[in-house]
Amino acid sequence: MRFMKKLTAFICTAAVAASALVVNASADEPYIGYNYDWWGDPIPSQNGFVVEDVITGADMGAGTLSEPNDLFLHNDSGKFYIVDTKNNRIVVTDSEFKNAKVISELTYSEAFSENDSKIKKTTFNSPMGVYVRTDKDDHTLIYVADSANERVVAFNEDLEIEMEYVRPSSDVYDSQVTFNPNKVVVDSAFNVYVVVPSITQGAVQFSADGTFNGYYGANRVNATAEVIAQQFWKLIYTREQIIAMRRNVSIEISNVDIDEEGFIYTVTESRTSDTDVIKKLNPAGTNIFTNLGYDEYTYGDFASGRYYKGKSYNNAICDVDIDQDGNIYLLDFATGRVFQYTNECDLLFIFGGLGTQKGTFTSVSAVESYNGKVYVLDSRKNSVTVFKQTEFGGIVQNAIYLFNEGLYDEAKGPWEEVLRRDANYWLAYIGLGNAYLNQGDYSTALDYFYRNSRAGYNRAFKSYRIEFIRANFTWMMTVIIVLILALIIWSYVKKSLAKKKAKKGGTDK
Amino acid sequence: MRFDLDMPAWKWPFYVARHPFEGFDDLRWKKAYSMKVAWVIVIAFFIISVAKAQLTGFLFNETYVKVFNVVPYFSSSVILFLTWVVGNWSLCTLFDGEGTMKRIFCVSAYALVPYLITQVICIAASNVLLRTESGFMFFFQYLGLAWSVVLMISAMKTVHQYSLPKTLAAIVFTVVAMAIILFLAVLLLTLFQQVFVFGYAIYTELLYRFSI
Repeated sequence: MRFMKKLTAFICTAAVAASALVVNASADEPYIGYNYDWWGDPIPSQNGFVVEDVITGADMGAGTLSEPNDLFLHNDSGKFYIVDTKNNRIVVTDSEFKNAKVISELTYSEAFSENDSKIKKTTFNSPMGVYVRTDKDDHTLIYVADSANERVVAFNEDLEIEMEYVRPSSDVYDSQVTFNPNKVVVDSAFNVYVVVPSITQGAVQFSADGTFNGYYGANRVNATAEVIAQQFWKLIYTREQIIAMRRNVSIEISNVDIDEEGFIYTVTESRTSDTDVIKKLNPAGTNIFTNLGYDEYTYGDFASGRYYKGKSYNNAICDVDIDQDGNIYLLDFATGRVFQYTNECDLLFIFGGLGTQKGTFTSVSAVESYNGKVYVLDSRKNSVTVFKQTEFGGIVQNAIYLFNEGLYDEAKGPWEEVLRRDANYWLAYIGLGNAYLNQGDYSTALDYFYRNSRAGYNRAFKSYRIEFIRANFTWMMTVIIVLILALIIWSYVKKSLAKKKAKKGGTDK
Repeated sequence: MRFDLDMPAWKWPFYVARHPFEGFDDLRWKKAYSMKVAWVIVIAFFIISVAKAQLTGFLFNETYVKVFNVVPYFSSSVILFLTWVVGNWSLCTLFDGEGTMKRIFCVSAYALVPYLITQVICIAASNVLLRTESGFMFFFQYLGLAWSVVLMISAMKTVHQYSLPKTLAAIVFTVVAMAIILFLAVLLLTLFQQVFVFGYAIYTELLYRFSI
């Protein structure tokens, strides 16, 4: 008996200790997961991503990094390229951030020998961005935006420069404007898009052979009261006065990325303007996000979102990344947060923040993602933080995948699981609404879409209305016809009664 | 053919709505102003503006229902209407208007009827229409509004016995007068609040002083 008591006490203690451990393990993120509801109010949510590791330059075997400004993951080889700006070098590591190789000196290839016979070697000077693309023949080119050298260099894996993209001599390029490339992407036709901070007309586009093609994807001018007032004064002013007026130009784009289908995404880092902060551009340079009619699409923290430690922040989206599933990741410099969206700009998860703990940042500079992992580069902590997807995040991702494939019924299970874990997760309601809509259960679909999606509700209601009218047409029509007949008969009876009365009155006279 | 004008008071608003040009003349002739009917219309105005926020279908509803406060709806219907009446009366008595406060109140309320009827239709329609069919709804909404504006001009013209240009000018200046009245009301409210706070501070101060 005593032994039993002891045993029970022991089990109880063990259980308490174990539960304490569990609690500790689940609460170790330095940020609170949250999401936005239909009204734009922030609501707590489960974390979709948690910190896996923080890797410094020393961990990679490349010495301390100094203000790294860009991170690129080359999907074909799984290699990471880190732009170590202050050290004037590029650090290349494998997919585990091991076996670092340092690139700091390049040689000119045969193609350049006649031009630069004296200078055979060259180094970087404040490189800011990197992009890598492999063509069909497995020939890999590494593009580095070599900012202070005013060029973008393209070199192969033997560190031989094959092409240099320099300041265009064309008339279109203003001779007063500097050419300090900040970021670079390359499309599948090897056209090079260079982001230059001093250019407000968009990204500078070069074709593969180095000819300047013009500008790509300019932002629109933010319609402030000042701009509208200027439009008015321009009607009255003389030519000289107009020239002397302060010019309103759009804000320059700050970063670009390209997805696997060749769409180019641009972001604009501005705390004052909310025009064209994120754009998805087709090859013609037209923003698809506005043209598809996503009038309700949103990004970053909302203006009213005073969630983080009771403060409100203006967004300063400094980097964008698209993973292989089409998810969009936005990096907010102001709050150190990463926002994950679906390919249609529906918010999935928010993680990260400002601070000094693991998983928070002081000065974020780049985000990359691959296979459920997100890598964030901090230029002041000089480290890469690796986030891994949680189980909850995995379920959501799986549901989104099935949903995008059009397998609405198969997506139902995962979405229901999501709701069991987080009843506030609004995207799950839309997913379930679509599943029921697909099954033809319109009234259930309406319940799920209500205050979650106007577009979905509209679609479900259209079908629901047709079905309702079909089912009830007979008696509705009968009632209407009977009512009309009753009205006709009633007015006829009324008229004849009035006539009779008038006749009677006439005879009385 | 003229209608028989000996009708119950509740029929008059509908009669003037159907006869925008002569209706108010007939009303004046028969002296058929009914405060009861007018008050019913004003209260209906308030109820319909609340219903519009609460009962409009999800596809067209922009109301933030997490926190619903009825006071803004009350002030944007009943208070606004009373301000209109007071502003119009104060202005037009100075400019040879013949309308008394009671008459202005009645005819203004009667002029609202088409707007209210179309609002009810729109609330009902918003529950059965799709987003692409919203044009029908907005057409009715604007039709009702325009009809009420025409009626209001006609009402003001008749009740004060003005010419048309003078009526339009009076309406514009009534809106200005309303703005001034509301401004003064807010000012008064704020001042009285400060006076109250001042008095209350002295009261608590005395309370502390004597309690020790």
